[in-house]
Amino acid sequence: MTSTAHNVAVPPQHRIRNFLRVIFSNNIAPIALALIIVSAVLSFMTPTFLTPGNLSNIVTQSSVVGIAAVGATFVIITSGIDLSVGANIALSGLLGAMVSQATNGYFGILTVLVVASLLGAINGAFVAWLRLAPFIVTLAVLGMARGMTLQISQGNSVYGLPEALNWLGNSDFAGIKSSAILTIVMFVLGHILLSRTTFGHRIYAVGGNSEAARLAGINVKSIVFTAYVIAGFCAGLAAIVTLGRLDSATPNAAIGAELNVIAAVVIGGTSLFGGKGSMVGTFIGVLLIGVINNGMTLLNVSAFLVQFVQGALILLAVLLDALNTRRIRNQRTS
Amino acid sequence: MANTAAVTLEGTSKSFGPIEVLSNISFALESGTVTGLVGENGAGKSTLIKILSGAIAPTSGHVLLGSDKLPSNTGAVIAAGLSVIYQELTDIPDMSLLENILLGNLTTRAGFKATKVNIARARVGLKKVGLEHLDLNAPIRNLTISQRQLAEIARCLVRDAKVLILDEPTSSLPEADVDNLLDVILALKAEGLTILYVTHHLDELFRIADRLVVLRDGSVVGDGPIGEWDEGKLVRAMLAKDLAQAYPWVSRKLGSVTLEGENLVARGVRGSSVHIKSKEIVGLVGLAGAGRTELMRVLTGVEPFLKGNVTVGGKPLKSGRISSARALGVLYGPEDRKQEGLVLGGSIESNLAYGSYHLVSRFGFLNLASMHSRALFSGQKFSIKFRSPTQAVGELSGGNQQKVVLARISQTSPVVVCFDDPTRGVDVGAKSGIYEHIFDLASNGTSIFMTSSDTDEILAVADRVYVLAGGRIVGELLRSEFDRQHILHLASRAAKKKEI
Repeated sequence: MTSTAHNVAVPPQHRIRNFLRVIFSNNIAPIALALIIVSAVLSFMTPTFLTPGNLSNIVTQSSVVGIAAVGATFVIITSGIDLSVGANIALSGLLGAMVSQATNGYFGILTVLVVASLLGAINGAFVAWLRLAPFIVTLAVLGMARGMTLQISQGNSVYGLPEALNWLGNSDFAGIKSSAILTIVMFVLGHILLSRTTFGHRIYAVGGNSEAARLAGINVKSIVFTAYVIAGFCAGLAAIVTLGRLDSATPNAAIGAELNVIAAVVIGGTSLFGGKGSMVGTFIGVLLIGVINNGMTLLNVSAFLVQFVQGALILLAVLLDALNTRRIRNQRTS
Repeated sequence: MANTAAVTLEGTSKSFGPIEVLSNISFALESGTVTGLVGENGAGKSTLIKILSGAIAPTSGHVLLGSDKLPSNTGAVIAAGLSVIYQELTDIPDMSLLENILLGNLTTRAGFKATKVNIARARVGLKKVGLEHLDLNAPIRNLTISQRQLAEIARCLVRDAKVLILDEPTSSLPEADVDNLLDVILALKAEGLTILYVTHHLDELFRIADRLVVLRDGSVVGDGPIGEWDEGKLVRAMLAKDLAQAYPWVSRKLGSVTLEGENLVARGVRGSSVHIKSKEIVGLVGLAGAGRTELMRVLTGVEPFLKGNVTVGGKPLKSGRISSARALGVLYGPEDRKQEGLVLGGSIESNLAYGSYHLVSRFGFLNLASMHSRALFSGQKFSIKFRSPTQAVGELSGGNQQKVVLARISQTSPVVVCFDDPTRGVDVGAKSGIYEHIFDLASNGTSIFMTSSDTDEILAVADRVYVLAGGRIVGELLRSEFDRQHILHLASRAAKKKEI
């Protein structure tokens, strides 16, 4: 197979082949298959699963994790990690709620997004410029953000938010929740940013080999920083959805959300080693987790067991990622 | 001097796949003597050392330690009395001198450290290398490099080594300490140790060696008592092969000066001034650690310089700023393409695009079709063998990977390119292909600095060379003045004279 094509334009059949190649090389095919199988099994086991209402419900319930996972995909492809997403949702949501009560809903929205992006910027600054390990930095920020949330709120929720702030999490168009629409929009934007722009291309380069990227003239630090800011911003959007859904800000909002977010990204074929992954994969990962959660609810599985299954899924995904990476590495050295 | 062999190699060969690195090596280290081993980079010295250390097994032939077969793992080789001291320090900086000397070798009683016994043992070893005055409990990182090097030797002595192999022990030592190390080696010889001394510094050999063995292209091409050698003969034995004709050098009419660096001081670079003209190919020649890579990294903005200045077409290059260098058209082709040159998991078309986005994007959006067609075009122009431009670069052979690096650098018509050992680990066929493209770049106006681990290659392709030693430029020769022996003398001699 050493055919060197002579033509310059890309014929359509190559496009299809390339699309298939992208699907397979990013480990999307197995996860898509898993999604189909799990969905098929569930639709046999419960009559309610395959109803339009339930399907739209899955996307709606997945929206917080999904929106945050869009940002986390960028971070993880740079071979980083963001553990602070849940705490970020709680803190930015709380501050936004307080500001909205003092002023109006629009200032509330602005506050949420600015606070969330700032937390992302703090993560990014420590990781990119001070070169600290992302795991430790974001774990520390998780602790600080959650602690500040509890301190400021004194453990109490803030109830009764203005309509403008609740709108994203609480309204619907033609029966589809606005949070589900926002999730889809964010995935589309994320996909375009990651696969069609030079920024996304640089993200892959930095995650694949940061030294080679630097020597090729890519500003590695600003790329890494930006990835964390995007993750923070997405956490902010997720916070707004959370606020609207509950019509309140609770200090314990989104506890442990990072687990689901990282699980979705990794299950979706993005490598924790960096340099590999896709938004399409993350979307399917989010859906798979959503479908499994939904299915377990429909089948009346204990909530305790739900968390166990999520943990097991992460372990499985990481195992597959490591095996796949090792297989490729072995091919290269032989 | 006892006339028995401490180590004997008999018809030892080593192949990696189809490539024979060592071919039918036979020589012996006589007990209580110092044998010098010399050869160019790639002659097979390090493979030979690895075999002697037990790290790799020869493909055929055998190695005797005394009259027994050399054990086949490193621990057993050390226990049998043969220790290797490597070029880089292998101590553990935060552990004390005592713990380093007795690393993995502490005397214990019922599981507890027998401190007094250990101190006594360490002192015996340290005394032999002249370090008995040092504080045993201070962390070893507080010592000078030279002292740490000697401590490595002491560590081997404590393990009752009978045979010591020293691999380039002076490459990172200042001049005064080199003398001291050589004295220690002579003292150890007087105590009956057998020593194999591997070095690029030929003058050191004439001070301590009893015998010299010369390796070239994996074979022993010279073996005789020190009295039979002089420096000229040694250099001829090391290099004696015709200048390769595979490099199609042609005279180019040089343009005006493009890059000028004045009195540059940086890590590994001490007051170097260089300049280059358009269309010119300038080789940087020097021993390992002479500062070739460091100089290139300074010129391309990869590493900062502390003093001096670099101008490109009259405009100043900002110290340590890759973006500044690239804006001026100065590109770097790194030595280690796997670690520094390429994103191995990335596709060929992606690797061509990194850092050259202006060619394949608009307003930040990639033109995927253009990336694809550019990769196909480069594939043809540089005859890169790949299945598809979307194939991962890591799946290509070394030569083809290097061509991807070359293609990426060439596509922007750079003003100056610094190629650090562009043919490293590349087979002969691919080599001349790579040089053809370098000549092509040059005749289109690009100035090219380059290094090679093979000095002959540099002399075959360069219009001019700078000889580097100890971070300084110690010689500048035009192509008409090229003389391998003279250059090699400059590189190894000056390294000693000009230190500190």
